[in-house]
Amino acid sequence: MVNLNAVLLISFLLFSIGIIGVLIRRNALVILMCVELMLNAANLNFIAFARHSGSISGQAFALLVMGFAAAEVAVGLALVVALYRKRDTVQVDDINLLKG
Amino acid sequence: MEHLLETIGRNMFAIFGVMALCGAAFMVASKSAVHSVLGFLFAMLCVAGCFLSLEAEFLGMAQILVYAGGIVVLFLFVVMLVELSKFKEKSVFQLQSRYAVVAVLLGAAAFVAIFRNLIFGTPSTEALVLRPELANGLNVAQQNAQAVSRGLFADYLLPFEILSVILLVALVGAVVLAKTERV
Repeated sequence: MVNLNAVLLISFLLFSIGIIGVLIRRNALVILMCVELMLNAANLNFIAFARHSGSISGQAFALLVMGFAAAEVAVGLALVVALYRKRDTVQVDDINLLKG
Repeated sequence: MEHLLETIGRNMFAIFGVMALCGAAFMVASKSAVHSVLGFLFAMLCVAGCFLSLEAEFLGMAQILVYAGGIVVLFLFVVMLVELSKFKEKSVFQLQSRYAVVAVLLGAAAFVAIFRNLIFGTPSTEALVLRPELANGLNVAQQNAQAVSRGLFADYLLPFEILSVILLVALVGAVVLAKTERV
């Protein structure tokens, strides 16, 4: 039996790395990957609690989250491609039209 | 040798977890986008290993199929499509990065301060089981896919169907967003 605290610690660290990546990277592709990483950390928590409560609901919802992540990646990558066509860049700090 | 194997088997989750953390750190830190994608792939495979060691076999396999088989390939395609070499001269990280790192470190310190006892204190000998009668009756390890399917198609059918609509909308939206404009 895996200790629940170990799972929570690992998942917290994964989420932190994801947040750090979203905050400090300038490449939109890497930012999308970091969002995926954060979703995976949440999934890890779902599965750990499902395991420790003896209920299957957490695993079912983790599967739903996985499908949602796939949808999100498809739209996000389409946005990146459209952005590259229009503005010729994928660096987020070159996209400052609303800044005035 | 047997003792070593037994130790490894008992700590499989920690090994996979630390490897996933290393892959994630490599993903954030590497300059080249292709290296980032490879770090992401490694992290996802290790998270799948974590799922397996938590006795969620079906989800571990689904993680490998969805992420390593689908999403990473999609990312690689876009990395190849977008010419990244022209951005080489700029710095990798944003200007305000040091504030971001300080903020995240403060958040981590707050987390550790709040949950100090949980993480570093003496672990409870018994694993936390909220509803033990379910854990005994279900026998998750033997029929994981069966149990997941019962949860998905009996208890949570409506969210499942909504997810399928969301996937369809995302598919159409991605095509509309990414198509070239022709008059």
